[in-house]
Order: sequence, then structure tokens, then C-alpha cells
Amino acid sequence: MNAGAPPRSGVTPGDLRLVAHEVRYEQLAFWVNRVGAVFTVGFSTVFLVLLGASAGSSRISYLGNIKLIQYYVPAFVSYGVMAACFTTLAISLVVRRETGLLKRLRLSPLPTWVLVSAIFVSTAIVSVVQVVLMLVIGRVGYGVAFPQAWAAFVVVLLVGIVSFAALGVAMSTAIPNQETAGPVTSIVFFVLLFLSGLWFPLRANSGLAKISDYFPVRHFILAVEAPFEFRPGSSPWPWHDLAVVAIWGVVGAAVALRRFEWSPRRR
Amino acid sequence: MTSAIAVEGLRKSFGPVRAVDGVSFEVEPGEVFALLGPNGAGKTTSIEVLEGFIQRDGGTVRVLGVDPGRRRDQRWLRTRIGVVLQELAVEPFFTVRQVLERNAGFYPAPRPVGEVIELVGLAEKADARVKTLSGGQQRRLDVGLGIVGRPDILFLDEPTTGLDPAARRTTWELIEGLSREGTTVVLSSHYMDEVEALAHNVVVLARGQVVATGPPASLGGRDRGRVTIRFSLPPSTPADALPVARTAGHGDEVEIETDDEVRVLAVVTTWALDRGIELRGLSVTRETLEDIYLGLTGADDGPPTGQP
Repeated sequence: MNAGAPPRSGVTPGDLRLVAHEVRYEQLAFWVNRVGAVFTVGFSTVFLVLLGASAGSSRISYLGNIKLIQYYVPAFVSYGVMAACFTTLAISLVVRRETGLLKRLRLSPLPTWVLVSAIFVSTAIVSVVQVVLMLVIGRVGYGVAFPQAWAAFVVVLLVGIVSFAALGVAMSTAIPNQETAGPVTSIVFFVLLFLSGLWFPLRANSGLAKISDYFPVRHFILAVEAPFEFRPGSSPWPWHDLAVVAIWGVVGAAVALRRFEWSPRRR
Repeated sequence: MTSAIAVEGLRKSFGPVRAVDGVSFEVEPGEVFALLGPNGAGKTTSIEVLEGFIQRDGGTVRVLGVDPGRRRDQRWLRTRIGVVLQELAVEPFFTVRQVLERNAGFYPAPRPVGEVIELVGLAEKADARVKTLSGGQQRRLDVGLGIVGRPDILFLDEPTTGLDPAARRTTWELIEGLSREGTTVVLSSHYMDEVEALAHNVVVLARGQVVATGPPASLGGRDRGRVTIRFSLPPSTPADALPVARTAGHGDEVEIETDDEVRVLAVVTTWALDRGIELRGLSVTRETLEDIYLGLTGADDGPPTGQP
């Protein structure tokens, strides 16, 4: 009955197969539960198409006279990443924690690092799907060029995905139960989006901009915009904005590591 | 062969509450072992320590020869044990097959998913989404998750709580079948009949401590005596005319508690027949496991919830 002594090895090829196995089921869980898919992919598609069709061709004098749609494409690229990493991840973690799913996985032989990696990879896949979708809609529907500085674009996305995923996990630890997970996360997210000028680009020195300067959302929108190089003379490497996003990510990761729980909070 | 599980002086507190306070027991390979007790007696806490889910405060614990609290052994241990929690917790949008296939991927040599589906009787529901299953079907899926890795030990935390009688019966048969295959089964329950039907050995817990231990049939001295004979005498016959002294009752009510019921009955009925005295409402009752359980765990310890 005692099938040999416990082996004590590190990461094996089997472990990497296990990550791939889990990513497949994470993806299945995301796409068969339509709420998450609608909230991320559906919302951003509808917003970008409607805003582009209604106001896309007007120009913004205070942003180098670019067309509004040129602002919206990067803005909704960033929306997609934040919706997938922050909102969807936070809600799904609360639901899984409160329904006992995380506890159940914790009791299975699935190593914690495999589960965490799979959740992260899966979240990143959803983010990339969103980014590609937004770029294609912008290009095909409204003639918005792809980002010129590809390397900067990829770095910005990576920093954003990691940071907002960390913030999503941190957010999940602040929500006590399943019922409030959706409303609380959405309110926080949409208020920040509004303050950060997702729908109405902010003037650099406006009151709203000063408030939203403290939060990562506006900085991420600006960081995603930079590699598109719409504004002549601006740098494709938005170091300042990236730094703010990354600092928030580190704070989020610290909170997440300190406060993450596997068991339901109720009872 | 050494014990499948050995627990010595296990202690675990949550804040000021001593959930488990010096519990010891051993589980032999292949047996069905039950932790019996009311809610809050420390059953789930004990099981969660054995599963390595929570860390103990004190005592020694060995499961399949390793310490479940040691992180470096946990992954290996978790491929050798199966766990059925009080509630099913899986992705609600997955089908039965998807849920099992996902978990099968966690184990080095899983049972084929089709075989598990047959074993737990969900063949007709294999491609149904989990959220469409009935309570009994969900519990059977949960047992399926517990056995998909071919565990040496299967832990079941209150496996039939909230199930209807038919679903309970099916779950019992499943557990008996696994036991026959050689799987060691550790279950917690607050149903006396469940423990009596399934377990080879039982530990009764109350307030975090062991109050009785042994095979269900011998629990609390149940195999030796504690039989009560009850009847009523006609008003014309005084109780002190009886050939055997009554131990309780007043007026014409008679209660005789004895561990030698055959002889006492013979004496009393012979005496009554010789004199043409009617013994109204004659009954002989052996203490039920429920009586013993209530006596052991203390009546003030919350509802015994003895009914299925």
C-alpha cells in the first residue's frame, strides 16, 4: 500500500505538461461561462465599434490633434487587459474561493505553483485575444495603424498584464463573499476608468487627471498609447507611466501574497 | 504491516476554541474507520489535519508513513489519498466528464474516467453540466473525484449529509465496494446508523476529545448488557410481589435493567403465568447506538440529528 518513498524532485517535464493541462481547463472555464467572456471581449468590442462609429473622426486639439478613434484603440486595448486581468480574475477568484473550488484544488496533488501559473497564463491568453481583436477592429473598421514600436508595445502589455493580475488577486482578498464580487469589482473598475478618461480623453492638467494620476488605470492607457506614436515627437517608451503601473503591481502582489486565502470566508 | 494512519495526542485550536484536544487513534490498512460526533466535535478539523490542509498545534500524525504537515511530502501524499469534502466544489459549467478528466490529469496513474463514471453510476449524466445534477448525483461525482487517482486512503467528510434515503444507500454501497477493493476509508459522520452499517472501527468525539473507541457493536459496552425489560402489573398486584426487584418505575409500571435478560425474563414470565397475572405492554429493549452516543457526547451538545 505504501507505494515507495515520497520522491523529492524539482520541476519535471511532467509538471510543464500539467501546466498545459490546467491552462486548457482554465480556458474552458473562461469561455463556457459566458459572463466573463461578455464582460471582457463583448464589452470592449461593442464600445470600440460604437464609439468609433459615433465620434471616431472628430479630432482632439489638446492631444496633438489626433483623431478620437486613434485614442480609443489603445484605450480599449488597455481596457481589455484590465478587464481580463483585474475584474475577471478578481471575480473568478472570489467565486472559486467561496464555492470551495480553491480549497478542493489545494487538496488535490496539483502543485500550487502549477495552478497559479495556469491561471496567470490563461488570463494572459484572454488579454492577448482582446488586444488582437481591438487592433484588428481599429485597423479594419477605422484605418487605425498598428503600433509602430512593437518592442515597446509588448513590454507595456507584459507589465500591464502582470501588474493588473496582481491587483486582481489583491482585489479578490478584499471581497468577503460571492454575491458582492461582481458589483464591487465593477464599480471600482468603472469609476477608475471614468476618472482616467477612457471615454473622454483628459487634458493633461485637468482636475480629473490630477486625481487619476495616483491610480494605475490612466497611466496604463497612456502607456499603451505611446508605442502607437500618433503624436509626433513623443517617445514610444512611456517609462514614467510604466513605473507607476509597476509600483501598483508590486503593491498588489504584496497584498495578494499576504492576504490570499484558499478556504471560503463564509461560516 | 504498519498502520495506514497513526494519530497521537493531536491538538488544534482556533483562537480560544480547542477544536481538537489530545486525540489519538490508529487506522489499519483496508478498514473503514469512522469519526462519529455532533457538529463541532472536531471531526472535520481532525480530517483536515490528516489531509494536510491545516497545520496541527501539537501531537504526532503519520499518514501512509509520512507527516501530512510536512510540505515536501504533501504532493506525494496527495497523489495517494482521495478527498471528498462536505460540498461538491467544481466548475459549474463543466460536464461530469470534463471535471473528472481535469482531475485525472493530476495523478500519475489515474483510474480511466469512463470506469469512474460507471463506478459512481453517472453514465447517463456523463455529458451533462455539473450545475444540472441533483444533490445525490453531485455527491456521487464528488466521490468519483475522490477515487479517480486510485487512492490508498479515501477521506469522506460527512458523505451522506443532506442526501435522500435512496442516494444515501447508493453512497453506502459505493463505500462498501471500495473497501472490498482494499481502499482504506476514513469517514466522518453524525449518523449512528451510517457508522453502524459501514465502519469496522469508530472513534466517538465530543468537544474535541475521544469519548469512546472500538467496533460499533461494542461501543460503550453495548455488547455486554444494558437491556431494559418494561411492563405494567394489574392494579391488584403490588410490585414487591415480583420475584425480581425492579430497578425503576413507580405504581404499576415496572422497569428492570439487567445484563442477564434471558434468565430474568424466564423468571418473571413463569411467575406471571403460574399466577395468571397479565404483564401489559411487555417489551425488551437493548440500548441503541443512538442512546449510547447521546450518553457519551452529552445531551447538551447540540442536536444529535439522528434521523437520516
